[in-house]
Amino acid sequence: MKPTREQSNGLGWALVTPAVGVLLLMTIFPALYLLWASFRRFNLMTPDNAPFIGLENYRNIATNGDIRYSMLVTILFVVAAVGIELALGLLLALMLAPKSRSNAAAATLLILPMAVTPVVSALVWRELFNPNYGWVNYYLRQIGIMHEPIAWLSNPQTSWFTVISLDVWQWTPFVALILMAGLQGIPPEPREAAAVDGAEGWRLFWDVTFPLLRPFVAIAVLLRTLEAFKTFGTIRVLTGGGPGISTEIINLTIYRTALQDFSVGAAASLGIAFLVFLSILVPQMLRILARNSDLVEA
Amino acid sequence: MRSTATQRTLAALSQVALWTWVLLAMVPLVWMVTTSIKPEGYAQTIPPTWQFQPTLQHYVDVLQGAAVTPFGPLLLHSVIVAVGSTALALVLGLFAAYALARLRFRGKRFLALWILSTIMFPPVVAVIPVFILAGRLQLIDRYLTLIVPYAAFNLPLVIWVLRSSIRQIPEEIEDAALVDGASRMEIISRIVLPLAAPGIATAGILSMLLAWNEFLFALTLTRSQVKTAPVGISEFTGMFGTQWGSLSAAATIIVAPVVIMALLLRRHLIEGLTLGAVK
Amino acid sequence: MKNTQIGDVTQTESKGVTRRHLMMSAVAMGLSLPVLSKSSVSAAPRTALLRQDAEKPASLNMLYATVEADVEAIKLAIPDFKAETGIDIVLDSQPYDALQQKVFAELAVDSPYYDVIIVDTPWTPALTGKLEPLSGYVTNEALNDVSDPALDDFIEKVFFDTAVYNPTASHLQFPDPTGIDVEAITGEGFEIYGLPLQANALVAMYRTDLFENADDMAAFESEHGRALAFPETWDEFTDVAKFFTRPDQNLYGTTLMPGNGDWATDDFKTLLAAWGGNGYMVSDDFTLAFNSPEGVDALTYYASLINEHKVTPPGVTSFSWDDASAAFTSGLTAIGMNYHTEVLAPDVQGNITYALVPEKETRGPHFGTWMLSVNKASQNKEWAYRAANWFTSGPTQTKMLAAQLHPSRKSVYEAAKTDENATKFGNFYDILGQSLALGVGRPRLTNYGAVDKEIWVAVNSAATGSMTPEEALQSAADKVKGLLQEAGYPVS
Repeated sequence: MKPTREQSNGLGWALVTPAVGVLLLMTIFPALYLLWASFRRFNLMTPDNAPFIGLENYRNIATNGDIRYSMLVTILFVVAAVGIELALGLLLALMLAPKSRSNAAAATLLILPMAVTPVVSALVWRELFNPNYGWVNYYLRQIGIMHEPIAWLSNPQTSWFTVISLDVWQWTPFVALILMAGLQGIPPEPREAAAVDGAEGWRLFWDVTFPLLRPFVAIAVLLRTLEAFKTFGTIRVLTGGGPGISTEIINLTIYRTALQDFSVGAAASLGIAFLVFLSILVPQMLRILARNSDLVEA
Repeated sequence: MRSTATQRTLAALSQVALWTWVLLAMVPLVWMVTTSIKPEGYAQTIPPTWQFQPTLQHYVDVLQGAAVTPFGPLLLHSVIVAVGSTALALVLGLFAAYALARLRFRGKRFLALWILSTIMFPPVVAVIPVFILAGRLQLIDRYLTLIVPYAAFNLPLVIWVLRSSIRQIPEEIEDAALVDGASRMEIISRIVLPLAAPGIATAGILSMLLAWNEFLFALTLTRSQVKTAPVGISEFTGMFGTQWGSLSAAATIIVAPVVIMALLLRRHLIEGLTLGAVK
Repeated sequence: MKNTQIGDVTQTESKGVTRRHLMMSAVAMGLSLPVLSKSSVSAAPRTALLRQDAEKPASLNMLYATVEADVEAIKLAIPDFKAETGIDIVLDSQPYDALQQKVFAELAVDSPYYDVIIVDTPWTPALTGKLEPLSGYVTNEALNDVSDPALDDFIEKVFFDTAVYNPTASHLQFPDPTGIDVEAITGEGFEIYGLPLQANALVAMYRTDLFENADDMAAFESEHGRALAFPETWDEFTDVAKFFTRPDQNLYGTTLMPGNGDWATDDFKTLLAAWGGNGYMVSDDFTLAFNSPEGVDALTYYASLINEHKVTPPGVTSFSWDDASAAFTSGLTAIGMNYHTEVLAPDVQGNITYALVPEKETRGPHFGTWMLSVNKASQNKEWAYRAANWFTSGPTQTKMLAAQLHPSRKSVYEAAKTDENATKFGNFYDILGQSLALGVGRPRLTNYGAVDKEIWVAVNSAATGSMTPEEALQSAADKVKGLLQEAGYPVS
């Protein structure tokens, strides 16, 4: 920052206001409305009858075992999906880093899954994992890896596998490309110096390369985590929250309550609770991830 | 030091692993395209059918509307909404990004953080009040009702990418212009805009991608005038058997433009994903 | 050196400007809240009197389903409507979930956009305040100039289950559903909220070619001492389904629909009624009837088909209507149960015969019918009514047989006996008609969606074996009780 630059409060705020305005409209305003609704028994079909019921909606969701389960399941999904995407993405990035025509082609093809409309990809997944006609069962049995056909969407463990594999298919390239760019941007000198000192293989990577990669890992993890918490359409199409309620992430519950049952009050309390949770989580994540990188600077 | 032989084997193995992943990742897309050209009834056979007479009938059905609703208009709506929201996000985002990159003002740090944090807001939660408000104001099924929310969804990322992009421009150029008496607006339009073009392209692509594929808001806030393609495609599923031929044809039609765009502009996409991390 | 500790910064940076900005926005938002909570700024209220000479609009907006309610049938009839009345029908069709959301959403905000709306039975209890009562329309001769409502031609059970509700107590079933008489209806305090169109009931179907295969017939006879035929009772069903379960030949006995969704509840309530229980699952006095001994027995049998006798294809526990249909038409099962006609896949050489769903003590197949209703907020109610009337009329429904419509009128079932559009599906319409006469609808709860969900979760859990039928139903019962209380119903 040049010492000659003065404070430009007026201009600064003038330039950001339109953007901020739009963002407020889509975040603070809905949040305030939901806050108001969450203290009422409010069904959209009978909008004039919305009595104030204090914390009853919140008490209901706190004592509802299904909702606690749903929240837990959401967190586990995010942790598992992002974790796997990070690990696989790193591996892919290491393989993609060396510049070559073949790698450029591979990187290009890897963009494709990210471009597919999520609802579409979920439908395709359902067909691929269909126990009777799906390619997964058929070809795995042909190869001999699988003997009894697995009814993927019929039990919780395999359902989760299907859900997570879809997310991994679609978003690992996202992580991989970010990390690949990071790897390609790392100057060779530190590694060469360390190699001369006798470091090699795993130690070379962990002690020298990885620290330089941290900012990229931070971004990838942050963005992927935030997006993963917003997952909705894919799981809705793929499992509908089933079998039972084993894959019912919190967004599905909110959607059903708000836009199918139209119990806006109840849905609002869920939404606010979720927002509070995210508002606590995100700054913590930012703090940890930003420790060695300038994610946001003045 | 590892021997070159080991190094070569490792390199070869890693290429094999890499391409195995890539080819496997293409399988779902292959399924989609092949199903779209299979004659009716062959989508679900045991074993999967690979010998068949390819047909483009499903594409005709989809575009002409023999299936459910004509898909052509839906694509047009999608284009309008995607372009509109991207344009809005880019304009608003450019100004905001410039302010964040170049100017000092009170609350800037907090603001930057807050803007980034809005990414976390789940659409499922936001759609409820937006729907209620739009309903009361009779704004359902209008382009603006999708364009503004989509722009809002995209603004955090757009601002972030553009801010990094602007920072890459040497400040001396702007300082010189300031000394010459140029206003900030002139600086933004004459100097920053052209030099930040790659970043703008990146932000634009990411924005178009999101707007093109968005489903929930489109489903809730449109009827028939503005219905977008992803909503249309969900109409192919239903109680009495999914029309797989039509559905996969529609899916291919939806996916093709963004895939082509992503392929053509892949360098920008990749650059944009990482600009935020690099100083 | 830049400050990189993000967390600390938020405390030290001056927040004066930002806080004020936020507060101002909050105040602005807060001021707008009352706008959102009240019902909409209403358009000029329409007079209670029907305007016989109401201006004819150039077009009417209709919100419809897709395949569930046979939108092809509507599309078929639209040109004729235009020819007769000169009015264009602007059709918007949505698949089930999206349709429900749309219907509720439009009606909740009193939007006048759609004039005619299709309504599925489980939604009606919550919507009676938003649909135009039609008792004044069906008796008004001037409004019946385009077509004759001929109410007595409707299948009674279907008409009362679908269209007749008490506006002040929407949970009540009409006490005496024999004979459709408008005065009797309004005399009891009920109203007519629409005209039924696509009548769905659970019907069974089987592969005639498999059942008439000489070798199989001989084998079955020698094994069980009776002729191979589609089972009349559920007891016989197990043997027959087992007989046709040959996994190595990729053939299984039957499909079922225990997947997560309304279809699982419908499967269950069919068996519940068959076992002698109350197929409505919740009685008029809000006592729960699905966790009764009959319910437990029925669900136990249902789950046994999947887990003990294994007569269903792999993956059946996630089957919906779609999947069950695909399984049967691709030749995977010998028997199927669904709500519509089927066409076998091209590579399956066979024929289909339809049959009533088997009985235990009695029969009570699930049924549910769609109806065309008039949006109370529509600006063209009189013509919207004429449209609803015309599309559900006898002649139009007969025409719609070409798109495999499931008629709601007795005369159309008669016509179907000789209409080639219907006869090409064999005995389907005969069986459908019989099933509708035996059918049992859904309980009339404003939050049926939520109740439905708890029950289908129970059915699915029993089907996958993750809970015993008794546990599953009891768990559902506890939750449903809570839901009924939340909805404001007087639960003991």
